Amino acid sequence: MREFLTDVILVANWVLLGHVALFHLVTLLLVLAGARRVWRNRHWQGSEGHGETFASPLTPAVSILVPAHDEEAGILDTLSAALGQRYPALEVVLVDDGSTDRTFELVAARYGLTQVTPRPTACLQVDGEVLSTHRATTGDPLTVIRKTSVGRRSDALNAAINHARHPLICMVDADSLLETEALLQVSRPFVEDPDNVVATGGVIRAANGAVTDRGTVVEPRLARRWVVRVQVLEYLRSFLLGRTGWADAQALLIISGAFGLFRRDLVVEVGGLDAHSLAEDAELVVTLQEHLRRQKRPHRIVFVPEPVCWTEVPETWGVLGRQRKRWSHGLGQLLWKHRRMIGNPRYGTIGLLALPFFLLFELLGPVIELVGLSAVVTSFVLGLVHPATAALMLVLAIALGVLLSATAIAVEELTYHRYGRGRDLLTLMGAAVVEHLWFRWAHSWYRLRGLVAALLRQAPVWTAMPRTGFSGSRPVAEAPAVSLAS
Amino acid sequence: MTQTGAVVVASSVVTGLVVVLLLSVGAAHVARRRREQRNAARRAALVPLVYTLLDGEEAGAVLAGAPAVLDEVVLHLLPQLRGSDRKVLQDLLVTRGVVERAAADLTARAAWRRGRAAMLLGSTASTAHTAGLITLLADRSSQVRCAAARALGKAGDVAAAPHLLAALTAERTLPSGVVGMALLDLGTAALPALREALTSGTAPARALAASLLGLHGDLHGTPALTLTLADDGQPVDVRRAAAEALGRISSPRATDPLCRALTFSAEPVLRHAAAEALGRIGDPAAATALVAGMAADDPGVRAACADALGALGPDGRSRLTQLADGEGPTAGTARGALDALAVRSARLHPMAG
Repeated sequence: MREFLTDVILVANWVLLGHVALFHLVTLLLVLAGARRVWRNRHWQGSEGHGETFASPLTPAVSILVPAHDEEAGILDTLSAALGQRYPALEVVLVDDGSTDRTFELVAARYGLTQVTPRPTACLQVDGEVLSTHRATTGDPLTVIRKTSVGRRSDALNAAINHARHPLICMVDADSLLETEALLQVSRPFVEDPDNVVATGGVIRAANGAVTDRGTVVEPRLARRWVVRVQVLEYLRSFLLGRTGWADAQALLIISGAFGLFRRDLVVEVGGLDAHSLAEDAELVVTLQEHLRRQKRPHRIVFVPEPVCWTEVPETWGVLGRQRKRWSHGLGQLLWKHRRMIGNPRYGTIGLLALPFFLLFELLGPVIELVGLSAVVTSFVLGLVHPATAALMLVLAIALGVLLSATAIAVEELTYHRYGRGRDLLTLMGAAVVEHLWFRWAHSWYRLRGLVAALLRQAPVWTAMPRTGFSGSRPVAEAPAVSLAS
Repeated sequence: MTQTGAVVVASSVVTGLVVVLLLSVGAAHVARRRREQRNAARRAALVPLVYTLLDGEEAGAVLAGAPAVLDEVVLHLLPQLRGSDRKVLQDLLVTRGVVERAAADLTARAAWRRGRAAMLLGSTASTAHTAGLITLLADRSSQVRCAAARALGKAGDVAAAPHLLAALTAERTLPSGVVGMALLDLGTAALPALREALTSGTAPARALAASLLGLHGDLHGTPALTLTLADDGQPVDVRRAAAEALGRISSPRATDPLCRALTFSAEPVLRHAAAEALGRIGDPAAATALVAGMAADDPGVRAACADALGALGPDGRSRLTQLADGEGPTAGTARGALDALAVRSARLHPMAG
């Protein structure tokens, strides 16, 4: 019996080792591919022709959709940033999804809302009851829809899509700030290749700690909490390099719900966002890919590494845990729903690379890591592993992880260098080490809980994140309305 | 080598890489800050000299030997200038050898060099390198092809128009948006090529030509666009582009074919485009077709018809008011359009009422 247990534990150790090595190898390849792309793009900086895109009559109009539930802390900043986009033709559709705070009152006072009859342009299913529709009287192209909440972001977004009038829809979180040229940059692939591009995504960065003024990030800075700093690093790695790498492999699975641009007609064609998904953004991308591939229609999903949307990330462990559990639960739902695509060559690199990667490393990763960790600890106790060898293995695993983060920091500094203060870079380097000491394991635990929720088919619960608002900002309500949009 | 030894070596290598990367980041950060400060100082010194040159005073000798940052200053200013000022800066770039180097770089090995060279030649608005840029339309790098197309548009040589249109369906294709922007940059001189493409081009060329003729407001293109719209054999994208173009040209001669497209087409996208075009034209003769269109199943078509009725003036608004009195989705859409008109009117005339 003891021999059998020993064998099991040793196998678990080797599985953990193999998993960590394979994960880092694949991620390193992705990061290198992303770094190569970002590095190459660097040569083209300044010659992208954003001015021409802005002036071009061929640039399609965009409806910016903002679902909001209890977002009084930052909603005016978010709207100010959305309406202040340097873009030739846009409208903003804000959905007040059953807010119990002053979200609607603040917006109504700021933009002089008046109630109008709704003018739907699509009839996607919306479970919440649409209570009223309002238009701004300040000259801003703003429509506000009030509806009862059913606790799902996707429901609010489907209500917004039903009232969007323009051919492109841009989904933006209500706690996010778009940089002035973000929309122009992320829409460029649509302008240049309108026949094939169906969706584009941009870079998301953590706004916590940044100095903002009326919806504009004046100076990016790192927050004081390590839990936020590590997330800054995560976002850098994921958006700057990971997604660029996936996009290069034509296998982009996720366009963040915080900032993504889609062709409206196609989103309506696939029935809008999945009402019951907790990862509605990724779900939409995979559904579009599946739909278009099955119909053999040409399509491209593009990731644009330049534009930036700043968003609030969780500042406490509790909120972070709920968010990551929800993401993992949503990923489980997504992989189950699209299980026939996994490993299926009919779906190209999405089926052969991206979905298996997400299944093996993102969804099942926490199981392997936590079971493996337990096996290592047990091995110590039973004296099955030489302590020095185990310690060296641990150092190697941490060093590999830090190498990935250091690559992301290097690419950030050599290309976009948003963090002007040297101390912020030093802190980021510190976060690269800190991440592997405790963040990673806590993260695995949250993801494991999400996986269990998905396996048990628990009812999806979309919990709103408590907002603190953007630092250094003065209340927008005090400032005069200024809109560059027409 | 033992297992432990291998792990020690691997850990050391990875840790070494991390240290090298982090040191590089620090060094790059410091170097960049210094470079930015140096270039800012140089710009501050050079910009007044450039304006002195534009004022017709002698500064060419100093500028000819100025550091490379001057080229960035000049290339930034160039698209904003016309006439003699533009010529002065173009000559300065020629004197500094920038144009010659760019022309040589059109065949460089690195894609970004070819692309940047193409864009630079486009910015100088010189037609001397049109042939080289046309060759780049078939480059193996899509970024270079796009850069060459943009450069041809900026250079303004209308001889490039057929090549740009052909690139839409070439073996190495160019996206229609890039070609469209380049053809728009060529201005009205490209109209004959666009009219030709509308009647005898490939389907993507016909769709693009129709859109661009509409954006130019080309009245002479109306008959061909009307024929294209009415031709059931044309792809729906081409017909939709023709409908949109007819709306932009706003000739009442297009009212009848647009009404027919709105009434008889089975394609919601075409009906939507036809309704929008009728709204742009604003011909009251379209009211009956638009009222009929308000009964469409597609809410987008209904909304477009309602907006178009609102744009027809008093007659259209009166029809909308009648429709709004009823029940069902048609009445709701009509009420929504009337509310939108009221909000717009209140914004434009805040004191009224």
